[in-house]
Amino acid sequence: MSDRLSGIRTGTPRLWWTLAVVTVLCALPFYLDAFWLRIGLFSMAAAVGAVGLGLLSGTAGQLSLGHAFFLAVGAYGYVWLAGEPGPGLPTAVAAVLAVLLAGAAGGLFSPVAGRVRGVYLGVATLALVFLGHHVLLTADSVTGGFNGRSVPPLELGGFSFSADSELTVLGVPFGAEERLWYLGLALFALTWFTARGLLRGRPGRALVALRDSETAAAVMGVDVSRYRSAAFVVSSMYAGLAGVMIALSFRRVVPDYFGLVLSVDYLAMIVIGGLGSVAGATAGAVFVTALPLLMTRYADQLPLVAAPGTTGGTVGPTEAARYLYGAAIVLILLFAPDGLHGLVRRLRARLRRRSAPPPTAATSPTPSPAPAARTKEPTP
Amino acid sequence: MTVRTTAPPELAVTDVTVRFAGLTALDAVSFTVAPGSVHALIGPNGAGKSTCFNVLSGLCRPATGTVRLGDADLTRLAPHRIAALGVARTFQNIVTTQGTVADNLMLGRHALSRAGFAASALRLPQARREQRTHLDRAREIAELTGLAAHFDRPVALLSYGDRKRVEFARALCLEPSVLLLDEPVAGMNAAERARTVEVVHAVRAELGLSVVLVEHDMGLVMRLADEVTVLDFGRAIAHGTPDEVRRDPEVLRAYLGTGSETEEDAA
Repeated sequence: MSDRLSGIRTGTPRLWWTLAVVTVLCALPFYLDAFWLRIGLFSMAAAVGAVGLGLLSGTAGQLSLGHAFFLAVGAYGYVWLAGEPGPGLPTAVAAVLAVLLAGAAGGLFSPVAGRVRGVYLGVATLALVFLGHHVLLTADSVTGGFNGRSVPPLELGGFSFSADSELTVLGVPFGAEERLWYLGLALFALTWFTARGLLRGRPGRALVALRDSETAAAVMGVDVSRYRSAAFVVSSMYAGLAGVMIALSFRRVVPDYFGLVLSVDYLAMIVIGGLGSVAGATAGAVFVTALPLLMTRYADQLPLVAAPGTTGGTVGPTEAARYLYGAAIVLILLFAPDGLHGLVRRLRARLRRRSAPPPTAATSPTPSPAPAARTKEPTP
Repeated sequence: MTVRTTAPPELAVTDVTVRFAGLTALDAVSFTVAPGSVHALIGPNGAGKSTCFNVLSGLCRPATGTVRLGDADLTRLAPHRIAALGVARTFQNIVTTQGTVADNLMLGRHALSRAGFAASALRLPQARREQRTHLDRAREIAELTGLAAHFDRPVALLSYGDRKRVEFARALCLEPSVLLLDEPVAGMNAAERARTVEVVHAVRAELGLSVVLVEHDMGLVMRLADEVTVLDFGRAIAHGTPDEVRRDPEVLRAYLGTGSETEEDAA
């Protein structure tokens, strides 16, 4: 825990782990086919969105059911800004503006977000989803109505994240998925870096205080309503970025995707992953995103699950995935209320205890007044 | 360690009245906390001591009256502005946030630091530098309050007395000129009480701040306080040194009742 604040990493093992994970993630497009890469892309997009919601609902304790709305603002914002009809801006500019647009939408909502809390905020944000859905369906000229719009591929300095041009790297043809994979990784890394910076810094502590006791936060000098609004804006910006990523991966945006179910999915992600942690939100996002896709793919090999398209008494793969993660939520709430993240942390602590020598006088060089309570010597 | 060179400003409460739907919680209460003194607020349960603290820290707005800290008028300020002016408080029931002792103490540094969302998200050098500086100071305060050994431990794992001390240290992290302590030793055992008294003495000597104290433990009040204000049913019924107050007939009546109602012994 001490390294969290002091900025001292627990030495080189952590660095090696990070390097190993990054290497594996970068190498994956050379080995996986498009199906798996697409799962990865959706997971990365969901992770970015989940980190944003985690910041708002997990860290700051503000229930939001409106996350789908801000995802939609990001996705449609990008499509409109970059496409025809629309201003037809350079796609990279459109992507950045779409994120800012989502932030601005969060800002517009901040008079409400700054004052209303808890369940009431949840209901207020619910209104956003319905409102957003209605606008997406009716504002044909911008959103394309019921059928949605196709997404212009992102171009960055002449490099197109689509299969338009031929590209072969080390003998592997790089289509849209492979290229987007690296974009997704970069954006996810950015999210990870910034969100953890936020959480470990002054704003993160203020948001935690807001969640645990607004009164204590206020008397400690935290401007409560300002921070509550700010959490909402920041969370919306992450949602906007996730929206852009989703649009790029799907290559088409349709209104029905951005419904209440999507908001609930994101809540499920952060609960399954563990509230208030970036790693947890990521794990939850991968779980919730990948599960239905995997089950659809392997439906024929699973007992009791019907292959897609067949009808009968059996459960379809999508429903089966829903059941499974419904069950996962219940199990996690019952047995690991702090989510996957907490589960991993406890496992790690247990492993460490087992591998560490039994605590004797020899292991604690300085006698302390409360040896039982000590885990670590204070750094002078 | 930064030691205040100038004396803290005087905290003046003038004619403060607070009403909660017909109940007058505070009735034209006035008192003045002399710079650098320990001022105790005592009184039976429901006398308005905590309400008075809520007014001082901005959680509760008085119907009439003013609260001034030096030249600044605190009466209508939001709690976070009052905190920024150097008024810190603890709570009767412990209110800590999740995380380590360090996290809690760093929350106390909130008003004194600047790093915003963008600077922290991008981990700009100045934000990291600021965090380090404040962390060093938080560590000093942890040492001063006897929490150094627990600095990196989650607050949830600490004993009751230690958690109370975390609140106390967090308030000190604000570098306050006035420190409001709401029952700092409630629920503590004798050893913990003695230690808290020591710490209050130490911070007062070292940081030169004024302390306003709400406490039921009369022994502690008599030992710590320079001046005492006695509240009863929202009215200030007596002011003076601990000795004067102890002999005041009004106070005896409030605490011990008159005539036949002498069962309750508040001391």
